[in-house]
Amino acid sequence: MKDIKDMLFSLCTCCTAGKVREASDVAAEEMRKYCETVVKSENNMSFYGVLKGKKDYTLMLDAHIDEVSFVVTDIDENGFLTVSNAGGIDIRTLPSKCVLIHGKERTKGVFISTPPHLSSGETEYDDISAVKIDTCLGAKAKDLISLGDIVTYDVEPKQLIDTRVTGKSLDDRAGVTVLLELAKRLKDKELPINVVFSVVDGEELGMRGAQVATFGISPDEAVAIDVSFAVAPDVSAEEGGYISKGGMIGVSPILDREITNKLNTIAFDKKINYQNEVMGGKTGTDSDVISLSAKGVRTGLVSIPLRNMHTDCEIIDLADIKSTCDILEEYILSGGIMNV
Amino acid sequence: MFDTLRDLCCLDATSGNETSVREYIISKVKDYCNIKTDNLGNLICFRKGKNPTERKIMLDAHMDEVGLIIKAITPDGFLKFATVGGIDTSVLMCRRVKIENGIYGVIGCKPIHLSGDEERKHLPKTENLYIDIGAENRNQAEEFVSVGDRAVIVSEYTEIGDKIISKALDDRIGCAVLIDLIKNYDEYDYYAVFSVQEEVGCRGSKTATFALEPDSAIVIEGTTAADISCVPSDKQVCALGNGVAVSFMDRATVYDREYYNFALNSEIACQPKRAVAGGNNAGVIHLSKTGVRTLALSVPCRYIHSASSVADKNDILSAAHMARFMIKSIAEKKV
Repeated sequence: MKDIKDMLFSLCTCCTAGKVREASDVAAEEMRKYCETVVKSENNMSFYGVLKGKKDYTLMLDAHIDEVSFVVTDIDENGFLTVSNAGGIDIRTLPSKCVLIHGKERTKGVFISTPPHLSSGETEYDDISAVKIDTCLGAKAKDLISLGDIVTYDVEPKQLIDTRVTGKSLDDRAGVTVLLELAKRLKDKELPINVVFSVVDGEELGMRGAQVATFGISPDEAVAIDVSFAVAPDVSAEEGGYISKGGMIGVSPILDREITNKLNTIAFDKKINYQNEVMGGKTGTDSDVISLSAKGVRTGLVSIPLRNMHTDCEIIDLADIKSTCDILEEYILSGGIMNV
Repeated sequence: MFDTLRDLCCLDATSGNETSVREYIISKVKDYCNIKTDNLGNLICFRKGKNPTERKIMLDAHMDEVGLIIKAITPDGFLKFATVGGIDTSVLMCRRVKIENGIYGVIGCKPIHLSGDEERKHLPKTENLYIDIGAENRNQAEEFVSVGDRAVIVSEYTEIGDKIISKALDDRIGCAVLIDLIKNYDEYDYYAVFSVQEEVGCRGSKTATFALEPDSAIVIEGTTAADISCVPSDKQVCALGNGVAVSFMDRATVYDREYYNFALNSEIACQPKRAVAGGNNAGVIHLSKTGVRTLALSVPCRYIHSASSVADKNDILSAAHMARFMIKSIAEKKV
């Protein structure tokens, strides 16, 4: 579990959002240790690694490396920034939160909070442009920061009780960690099929990275690995799965039923922790667009349960990453649904 | 002084739990003054000067900070809490917290995908929030946390140019100023009180002042600065970089007018606090026994009572200069 934790923490300590690509570079560097072929996209922050198998049949695994972030839309003479969100963000969680501003130099900033003497308790949080960022730079802000610069959460990952961890961008660095861990486990094994580990950009803005990456890779089948809602005091059992109870194998009209069934069977037979997440249609993950790529791709989904999604206080259990790897390793070694 | 301030801000000391800050201060000042800790935990330091004074002068800064106290553990292993001191719900949602035994947790919130548009416009009630330490259930949580444990919101002390971002600037700034004073200023006798429980009703200063019976008091505080873009200038109270703020009146005190005018007309960088809002230890000090002539020197802090308050080093230096100037002026009966 320590390897998984170290990998995840190194990915969550840096960012990939907009044109900032650190996390993507760290992940690609790691992937190169296991895959001879690693191809970086020329158009965005995506890349993929390849492990060759016996048959000319390709299973693509997908996880996204981008994170929810902010983009600077105005800079005033006193050094306060107006931002827009890139990805869904609850404005109520922002006041007094620290951020990193990726300008000419990387600087810290803090979202303003309403001073107590002006706080009526009636404030409506419906406009992110009202929550300025204080750069503490005064008039100098304009020299260091430009419109369009990216702003990300500023928090280091931290271990909680047992194998549970908290941090930003666990959505979906947890999935990227699954891909890296699988590449590591499988690099010296004889594989029945080709496996492409596709680490993509742009999920938080509408699965843009997966759309173009999948078109280029043109796989025979695919499984997306993302995160999904975990039960908490304000999230019911109908809305999510349980943290620490295993990867959530997706069941949905848009997902390939054979893939879903085989993943379920493997987990059940091998006594690996798993749970099902049943959705009535689109899943809100890369699998929605992967399945529609080119002439269509048979696609499955495994999600890692996560609390406080899209905040810098996300929580997952490393054990759920491991059990997801265990299921997918068996799935790959048994040839996916090539013969189904 | 700023190294001391950094050390002080990184200590966690919610009201009633000031031990770590008290011990740190003792280690810094013990060679310079006589120290006594009273029944409530106030640290009362007598600094012998080169000259005695006819008037007994007391300075006050409080050691405690706002925070949380664990009230209950739910069957699912989540922690319910109350705030210790005034904390707006907007700076609680979705924060990382540190509980006193070193356990970390986060204040959870519903994912944006699952909350409705109307729900998202309004803050939840603080009593509906909870801390998630990653425990599976109450039994596991109880291995690490007990009801009554204190917690603070995690923050990282950061300097950007002359600006400081940190939790607890209110009132570790005052503590740092008084430590610096004790170490470096010995022209006249004075008492420095590092008080407890300011954030829960100015309780420490009440007993310390009763015991000391001072003639004059100077409170060193942090106060709200709303010099941010979207606030009209008449509501900004005071501004970072314009010097220490001197109060004429707040919700707890009408300050000694002569002291106020004398400080404001000095050569030291200062500004009036332009609002009748808030209150501090001056409220109990100026009413102690038969009354005490009292002055408040406040360092402007943006986002006060949040884990990311912002202050300006120049204002802290002004507060330190002003404290020396006022001790000297009061001792020499210039005011």
